[in-house]
Amino acid sequence: MSEMNNERFEDLKEAYVLGALPEEERQSFEDYLAGHPERQAEIDELGAVAGLLAFSPPEQEPSPELRSRVMEVVEAEAEPSHVRRRSVAERIGDYLSVRSLALGAAALLVIGLLSWNVLLQGQVQDLQGRVQDAQSQVQNLQGQVADARDQQQVQKSQTIKLEGSWADQGANAEVASIDKNQVILVANNMPSVPEDRTCQIWVIKGDVPKPSGLFRPDGNMTATPITNSIEKADVIAVTVEPTGGSEQPTSDPVLSAAL
Amino acid sequence: MADRGRQYLGLADEDLISLVEAADAEAFATLYDRHSRAAFSLAYRMMGDRQASEDLAQDAFLKVWRGAGSYRAERGSVRTWILSIVHNRGIDQLRSHASRRRTQERVEASAPRSQPSEAFAETWRNSQRDQVREALDTLPAEQLKILQLAYFSGYTHLEISELLSLPLGTVKGRMRLGLKKIRDYFESRDAAVPR
Repeated sequence: MSEMNNERFEDLKEAYVLGALPEEERQSFEDYLAGHPERQAEIDELGAVAGLLAFSPPEQEPSPELRSRVMEVVEAEAEPSHVRRRSVAERIGDYLSVRSLALGAAALLVIGLLSWNVLLQGQVQDLQGRVQDAQSQVQNLQGQVADARDQQQVQKSQTIKLEGSWADQGANAEVASIDKNQVILVANNMPSVPEDRTCQIWVIKGDVPKPSGLFRPDGNMTATPITNSIEKADVIAVTVEPTGGSEQPTSDPVLSAAL
Repeated sequence: MADRGRQYLGLADEDLISLVEAADAEAFATLYDRHSRAAFSLAYRMMGDRQASEDLAQDAFLKVWRGAGSYRAERGSVRTWILSIVHNRGIDQLRSHASRRRTQERVEASAPRSQPSEAFAETWRNSQRDQVREALDTLPAEQLKILQLAYFSGYTHLEISELLSLPLGTVKGRMRLGLKKIRDYFESRDAAVPR
């Protein structure tokens, strides 16, 4: 096998992102990449293109049993506090079996049980404390996630055109950032909607659509503030919803754009 | 508990994966419900039977559970990360099998398109999938075949070269052109490659 160098890296990078290098060559490629971190972004970008193939297979539904099997393992590993509780119970059981062998030492046993009771109460309090600590940690984490999102509100100035069935009919809609914190949807030539309907904007991150503004096309140009950050969002879309809007979209998007 | 479940439904994948890192099983369950179908579909495309595909998907999701801390948002979306785990472990398994059931016919079989769902999230996923399929439809058959043999069937470039009786340079060239054409498809529409 030839030594890895820039020319060879260039020659092999497509095979690498497709997972088509033999093990030894793959290792050599990754060693070279580790020594040239400036090329990582290029490989990530190419890997994203290759990764699109993962979206192309026809949909298959996994069995409910698969979910049960996975969650059984996950829940067992997620709750070490339960394990600790079982451990305490087992120790009680051990103690009781010892007691059955030591009936003659009843007085000692009573003293032992009282001591054990005190010890158990201490352990229960300790466990409750640990559970509270864990809950606090989760809350802190959620707070940190929210803070991080808040800090990432900086938007680049940009304009993005929306496509879809209404655009095909001549509607023109664009998302525009007017400063780093304000993003608006500018629309004109939109089809009219029935009296009991309105247009609703959605910002979608992952698979989660967030309601992000309402407007009614009136034949003129409209500019509607988008009420959720589009930073790190995947797509922005417009649906037709009942007047007042919906918590979740109830119809297919008439306009959308990948971000 | 039900309220917490509803809260999780409103969280983005990146938030859920942070909670999974803190051993939150409910957050993991939400991620599983969102992405298990795509992961299983990819596993099924690679392994070709339900049992092996379920084993692969289970293996991959447990790696997600145990390795959530290794997710890096700057490298791509959570969904792409999960699918890459399925893909990498699928390739390992395909290559470790002494007898390969993989056949050219399977690769050449065209994939039937699924019906789009009414649900909005499903509509978006379907739209993304349709875009990818449209992009793949623009590839010449000989380029698509080589990408599929590599990506889904786990063949190395050398094996593909032998299988199709093509010079190795031709195989690598078709990989390069195939990936470029997919990227060009999105760029020609002023759209970013989904990540």
